[in-house]
Amino acid sequence: MSDLDDFKATYFDECSELLTELEEQFAVIEEGERGADRLNAVFRAIHSIKGGAGAFGFTALVGFAHAYETLLDYVRDGRIELTDDVVVLCIRANDIVADHVNAAQTGEALPADYGAEEKARFDALARGETASDSVEEDELDGEMVEEFDLDFTPVMVNLDAPKPTGEAPVEDVFDDAPMMAAEGQWEIRFTPHRALYARANDPLLLFRELAALGKMNVRAILSDVPPLSDFEPFGVYCTWEITLVAPGLGEDAIREVFEFVEGDCDIIIAQAGTVPGLVSDESEMAADVSAEAATDEPDLSSLLALTEEEVAAPVEPVVPPAAFAPEPPAAEIGPQDSFDEAPADLSFAALAAEIAPAPAPAPKVDKPAPVAASAPVAKPAVPTGGGESEEGTGRSVGVQSIRVDLDKVDRVVNMVGELVITQSMLTQQMDETLRARYTELVRGLEVLAQTTRGLQDSVMAIRAQPVKSVFSRMPRLARELATKTGKKIKLETIGENTEIDKTVIEQLSDPLTHMIRNSADHGIESPEKRLAAGKPESGTIRLSAEQAGGNILIIVEDDGAGINRERVLGLARDKGIVAPDITPTDEQIDQLIFAPGFSTAEAVSDISGRGVGMDVVLSNIKKIGGSVHVRSWPGRGTRMTLRLPLTLAVLDVMLVKVGGGPYVVPLSSIVETMQCSRAAFERVPSGGRVLQVRGEYVQVIDLAQRFELSSQQNPDDQFVVLCEAEGNQKVALVVDDIIGQQQVVIKSLEENFESVDGIAGGTILGDGNVALIVDVQGLRTSPIHQNAA
Amino acid sequence: MEALSLRDDMSDKTAVAGQNTLQLIAFSIGEQTYGVEITTVREIRAWNGATPLPNTREFVRGVINLRGTIVPIFDLRARFGDGQTSPTKNHVVVVMSVGDKWVGILVDAVSDILTVNRDDIHNVPEGNSIDTELLNGIVTHDSRMVGLIDLHAVVSGAKMDG
Repeated sequence: MSDLDDFKATYFDECSELLTELEEQFAVIEEGERGADRLNAVFRAIHSIKGGAGAFGFTALVGFAHAYETLLDYVRDGRIELTDDVVVLCIRANDIVADHVNAAQTGEALPADYGAEEKARFDALARGETASDSVEEDELDGEMVEEFDLDFTPVMVNLDAPKPTGEAPVEDVFDDAPMMAAEGQWEIRFTPHRALYARANDPLLLFRELAALGKMNVRAILSDVPPLSDFEPFGVYCTWEITLVAPGLGEDAIREVFEFVEGDCDIIIAQAGTVPGLVSDESEMAADVSAEAATDEPDLSSLLALTEEEVAAPVEPVVPPAAFAPEPPAAEIGPQDSFDEAPADLSFAALAAEIAPAPAPAPKVDKPAPVAASAPVAKPAVPTGGGESEEGTGRSVGVQSIRVDLDKVDRVVNMVGELVITQSMLTQQMDETLRARYTELVRGLEVLAQTTRGLQDSVMAIRAQPVKSVFSRMPRLARELATKTGKKIKLETIGENTEIDKTVIEQLSDPLTHMIRNSADHGIESPEKRLAAGKPESGTIRLSAEQAGGNILIIVEDDGAGINRERVLGLARDKGIVAPDITPTDEQIDQLIFAPGFSTAEAVSDISGRGVGMDVVLSNIKKIGGSVHVRSWPGRGTRMTLRLPLTLAVLDVMLVKVGGGPYVVPLSSIVETMQCSRAAFERVPSGGRVLQVRGEYVQVIDLAQRFELSSQQNPDDQFVVLCEAEGNQKVALVVDDIIGQQQVVIKSLEENFESVDGIAGGTILGDGNVALIVDVQGLRTSPIHQNAA
Repeated sequence: MEALSLRDDMSDKTAVAGQNTLQLIAFSIGEQTYGVEITTVREIRAWNGATPLPNTREFVRGVINLRGTIVPIFDLRARFGDGQTSPTKNHVVVVMSVGDKWVGILVDAVSDILTVNRDDIHNVPEGNSIDTELLNGIVTHDSRMVGLIDLHAVVSGAKMDG
């Protein structure tokens, strides 16, 4: 039971990877690159998802994936042209598959007809393109979805069966036979190896693809079927010979059908027209067939004679139920057999001889038995799952990786974090006298410092992941938003290979979703408005990631209308977020969209500005030690910048003293430190203070005052830490003393408490005491909130 | 002496502690005794200072490092509105789990482990909302009143503006 759960978990892991790959492939396909490789990758991904889904009995997913797969199959073999419409449909289908996977994972039920519309469109497409033999196709399609997987009992039933739809099989053979002599006639001998079945490939699929290329006749060669006593359950005893009449068809097209099983089978393809002997023999053979077919009974008996009566027994019962073989089985077996025995089976025999060393032929006569016995859906899919994963490993040759439980990595990361701190604590203990006396100890500490740094970097690299894993979910969101809002939205992503700590990435999904939704909802205008404003009809949302020093910047930018500051400010005043007597700057107004309480449910419907759950963005980002900044240009767009720490584990900080207690300021935000007198602080009308630093006035934040501590410092001898907040805005933090630089491990306050204004978290110092991390950005923007409170 | 009585209680009461009984850790603030269910208590440690948290109510004494995790400390006396405790080394922090969080409560001393019958828990008299908010009930032990602390209530509303 728990094993199954493990498998399921692995399956869902794989699904999410495969879905990501689908997104990637379609991102390229959408741009016009429509190579066979792409389609094959897509096909493989869907096939793998379907396979596993079958194994776990996710029938809805199997059903949909199967229909989708069929469409892809048709697209791949060129029966359906990959037009833009089809691409859009496929992308939609990916989303539906994703939903199905998600539903299967969470156990939620989707509406029964979920995706039915798309499924119908697949069928319509398939039908439309194959109008010539639409009856047959319909028949096939109908069956494929429901029965194909379930009932396929790969008895050597010739595929002619489904084609003539059981009306007059024998005649059909007759009809085909003369035509075969015509040009464009191909002879194919297909000898699967055991590996082909082991990888869950299915000859029927291949035959069906072939059938789509032209008129086809398939014969199973049963001469290698051993007596039942020698029957090996997983043995492969059947070979097929296919005659395909398709004027103008190239060998490549046929090869392509077998592309996936190349190496797992022997294939001989010969053009009947080019080999004179073959054609005549073929027609002769056809005559034979007809002759034999006319006398089915003796034919059957000759088959039985050839094989063993026991074989015939298991074979026969399986045949009739097969959905695609309505005719009496004897009729089919007849012709194949006759072909086999036909003295004139030269060309194939000769050709086969060449590749004879390959073991092989013959069927899964065995397989059907167990299949039929067990649950119909699950059965064929089980091998599929296994087969695909093999394929998966085959693909990723070169990059070897293991799956490790994240908890284990985290434990290492935490320990390395503590180690780094212990190491820096040790280093601090070394004073000059000690240094002079114990040179060996000093050297040892230096090596230790280096090694710890290296260890830390390596461990961090283990957890680092490209932001792609989050970014790749966004195109879908943008599409859905475009549909919902009726706007045209283009999503561009840049720098998706930028790597960030996995824990940061996990926290990124929600904020990004909110930000993009916000941009689409409120930023991008309707097509008409955009055209009126002289902008391109479709709006662009650009999602980019880049590394800037010890930070990662994630920027969501749109070319929409910008923030409607009047309304935002009005609303903020109504809600008491901004006191009436305060006039915030434009920039401060922009930041208001992140204010808690601003973006309540009412706000969403009330304002044409922004504010869909944006405080979630702020709180999520703050939680991981990041900050958010928004900048808007009326009529031209909005840019939201997330500044995230590269890693959460260790932070370089400046240790300062405020009101007698230690506080730390992230080094990444510090520009410089200086010493100055309080007299240098100038007063501005709001009651705040500013300080002139090299010709620039910056806001002064007295930490002791803000934290309601009593400064123990002589006012004339104050230290100032000049920090840079978002948007290149500088702030001067007034502290009592500067102790020094250090590395710390960030600890969450929220784990056992709650977030505290102006504090980004806590950390544990070398002496075991807790020091608080100053939230520079939070301090800078909080006065507005405070005055309101 | 304290320890002795504690052990006595343990030995003869745990054996009889059945389904309908409740074990409490009793601690004192001034003359008054309060109790919390023993299963919520994680650790009892001496007061060793705490890093004050800005912008919080006076009953939040700050945070301490409990083996690598940051745990907030609540001053129970201040929570009851009697002003901040002036803690010494003899004061005690009772670390408890409230939901999935760990919190510390600063009290004057831990006095006893009590086993009480659930049926003997009295309601808190209506009247003062602070009492009904912060206490779950009242039991009598040795003819003295023991107030059962409602931990969720004690740790809520810690923020200045909250």
